[in-house]
Amino acid sequence: MLSVKNLTKSFNTANGTVKAIDDINLDIATGQFASIIGKSGSGKSTLLSMLGALDVPTSGSIKVDDVDIARLSSSQQTTYRARKIGFVFQQYNLIPNLTALENVMLALEFGGTPARQRKQMASELLDKVGIEDDQQLRKPAKLSGGQQQRVSIARALANKPSIILADEPTGNLDSETGKKIFDLLHGLSRQENTTIIAVTHDMDIAGKTDVTFKLKDGKLQS
Amino acid sequence: MNLISRGLKNSMRSPMRSGAIILMLAISIGLILSMLVARSSVDSKIADVKANAGTSITITPAGVMGFAGGGDPLTSDQLKSIASTTHVSSTTSTLNDQLGTNDTNLTASLELGSFGARQQRFSQTSTSSSSSTTDNEMAAPPAMTPRTTVTGTTNPNSVSTNGGNLNVSSGSTIDGSSSDLVALVGTTLATKNNLTTGSTFTAYGKTVTVKGIFTTENKFQDSGIIMPLTTLQSLTNQPGAATSVVAKVDSSENVNTVVTSLKSALGDKADITSEAEQAATSVESLSAISNLALAGVIGATIAGAVIVLLAMVMIVRERRREIGVIKAIGGTSRKVVGQFVTEALALTIVSAIVGLGLGILVSGPMTSSLVSSQSSNSSNSTGMPGERGARPQAGGFARGVNQINANISQVTASLTPQVFMSAIAITLIIATIGSAVPAWFISKIRPAEVLRSE
Repeated sequence: MLSVKNLTKSFNTANGTVKAIDDINLDIATGQFASIIGKSGSGKSTLLSMLGALDVPTSGSIKVDDVDIARLSSSQQTTYRARKIGFVFQQYNLIPNLTALENVMLALEFGGTPARQRKQMASELLDKVGIEDDQQLRKPAKLSGGQQQRVSIARALANKPSIILADEPTGNLDSETGKKIFDLLHGLSRQENTTIIAVTHDMDIAGKTDVTFKLKDGKLQS
Repeated sequence: MNLISRGLKNSMRSPMRSGAIILMLAISIGLILSMLVARSSVDSKIADVKANAGTSITITPAGVMGFAGGGDPLTSDQLKSIASTTHVSSTTSTLNDQLGTNDTNLTASLELGSFGARQQRFSQTSTSSSSSTTDNEMAAPPAMTPRTTVTGTTNPNSVSTNGGNLNVSSGSTIDGSSSDLVALVGTTLATKNNLTTGSTFTAYGKTVTVKGIFTTENKFQDSGIIMPLTTLQSLTNQPGAATSVVAKVDSSENVNTVVTSLKSALGDKADITSEAEQAATSVESLSAISNLALAGVIGATIAGAVIVLLAMVMIVRERRREIGVIKAIGGTSRKVVGQFVTEALALTIVSAIVGLGLGILVSGPMTSSLVSSQSSNSSNSTGMPGERGARPQAGGFARGVNQINANISQVTASLTPQVFMSAIAITLIIATIGSAVPAWFISKIRPAEVLRSE
C-alpha cells in the first residue's frame, strides 16, 4: 500500500517560491497499475522523484507499507531505492559500457545479492522480459530501443521491488513496441503483485491502467 | 562484476582518450623518476665528496704563500697550540727556505728562466743600489742564479706529490723528528751534483749527509732537499718556526669545529684553510642541481596530478547522468567514488609502468648531462688563484680539490630501490589528488537528475 498525505514540494526561484507539488493526497493499493498524466511542468516528474526516494518533500508524508520514506536519511533512502524501488526511464538509462546481463547484475549487486548468484538471476530476468541469450551479452548500443527498455525493466525487477516507477516508459518507442512494453509491465504487475506507477502522455496507455491521476500545476485533479 | 572490475573496464572505455592521458601522465612520471634519480645520485655524490674531502687543515702564517709575501713564520707556541687543539690527531710542520750560491756548494738543478729571473729582480735591484753607495768588495752584484729549495719537515712523506709515501729511490728516508745533519735529495739535484747515498754537501756552513735520493713526478720537488724540521730550524737560526702546518682532524664532522677554534686561537696571525671548505665550495653547484631536481620532482608531480584531475573531472562531467542512474538504482556514493578512483588508479598505474620505463631509459643520460655541464663551471671557479709552482704544501691540497672535481663529474645515475619506491609513492599521491576533486563532484550529483529529460 502506497499512501501519500499532504505532499508538497516547493523550490526557491528568483521570482519567489514555486510549489511544484501542492498538497497532494493519494492511495495506491499493492499490485495496482497506476498512471499519472499531465502536461509538461505539471509536476509529474517531481512527484515521481519523491515517490522513488530520489528527492525529499518540503512537507507531507509518503508511506510505503507503513514506512515514511520522506523521513529517511540519505543512506537509508539509497538502501530503500536499491531494495524496494525499480526504475524504468524514458531514455532507458542503461550503463553503456556494460552488457545487458551486466546492467541487470549491477542492480542485483546494489540490492545485496551474493556475487555467485547474480549472473544466473540476471539471465533468468532477461529471459522473462524476452531478451535472448546472445542479446544478453550485447552492450546497449547493439540493442533496439524496445530491447533496451526490456533490459531496463529486467533491471527494475531485479530486487523484487514493492514499487516500479516508470517515467514515460514508452515515450521513445513506436506505438507497436510501446504496446508490447506496456503489456509486459501490465503482466508483471499481475504476476508479481508489484505496484507500478507510470508517468505517461499516452492516453491510450493511461486508459488501460487500474487507476489514473491527473496533475495540473502541481495539484491533483479528480 | 564489482566496482573494481567496472572501474578497470571504464578506464579503457575511450581508448583514444585514455591513451592520451596515459601518454601525458607517463611523461610526467618519467620526469619524476629521472629527477629523483638525478637528485639521489647527486646527493650521494655530495655526501661522498664531503666524506672523502679529507680531514686536513692547513695553517700558514698570515700573508705568506709559498716563498712570496711577508710576515713572521709560525712560532713554536703557536705550533703547540695547534697540536693541543681538541680533535686534532696529528700535525705536520714544515719550514721552507732557499739555498743561494753563498749558502751551499750545490749547483741548483733548476734553470732560472724568465720566471725565476722575475722573482729575483728585487733582490738584484737592492743589491746594486747598496753597492753603488758602499763601494766595497760586493761592488759587482752577483749574477742572478737559480736557488735550491730546502724543506724542513716533521714528516718527509708530506712532500710526496701523489698523496702517498715519498718514493725514496735509493738509500732510506729520514726521521722528521731528529735534529741530525741529514737530508734527502731530489733525483734531479742529485744527478746534477753527482750525489749518492752517503755523499755530503755543504749548506749554511755545515756538512750535511745524504741519507737517500727521492723521486716525485714534479720537477720542482726533484730539484729540492728535504731535512728534518729541527735541523733546518737550527741551521737557519729560526728555532721553533714553521711556514706551514697541516693538522689532521680525528673525523670529518669535527673539521669545522677545529677550524673555528684555530681561528680564535691564532687570530689574524695565521691563514687557515680546510679541504672540507674547498669541498663545500665544489659541491655548491651540485647542490644547485639537487635543488633543481627537487623542483623538477615537485613540478612534475603537480603536472601529473593536474592531468589526472582534469581528466577525471572531464570524465565525471561527461558521465553525470550515468552516475545519477547508478545512484538512483541503489548505488551508494562510496561505490561510485570507488569505481572512479579505481579508474583513475588504473590509468595512473598503466602510466606509471610506461613512465617508469621511460624514466629508467632517460635518467642516466639526463643525470650525466646535468652534472657534466655543471662540473665544468665548478672546476673553473674552484681553481686556486695566486697559486704558484713554488708551493710544495699547497700542491697536495690542489690535487685533492682536482680529485674532488673529477669525482663530481663521475656522478653516475643510480636507480636505488628507495628512489623507485619514492616514484611509486608519488604516483599514488598523484592518483589520490587526481581523484579527490572528482569524488567530491560525484557526491554532489543528485540521483533525481536522472529524471531530467534530455
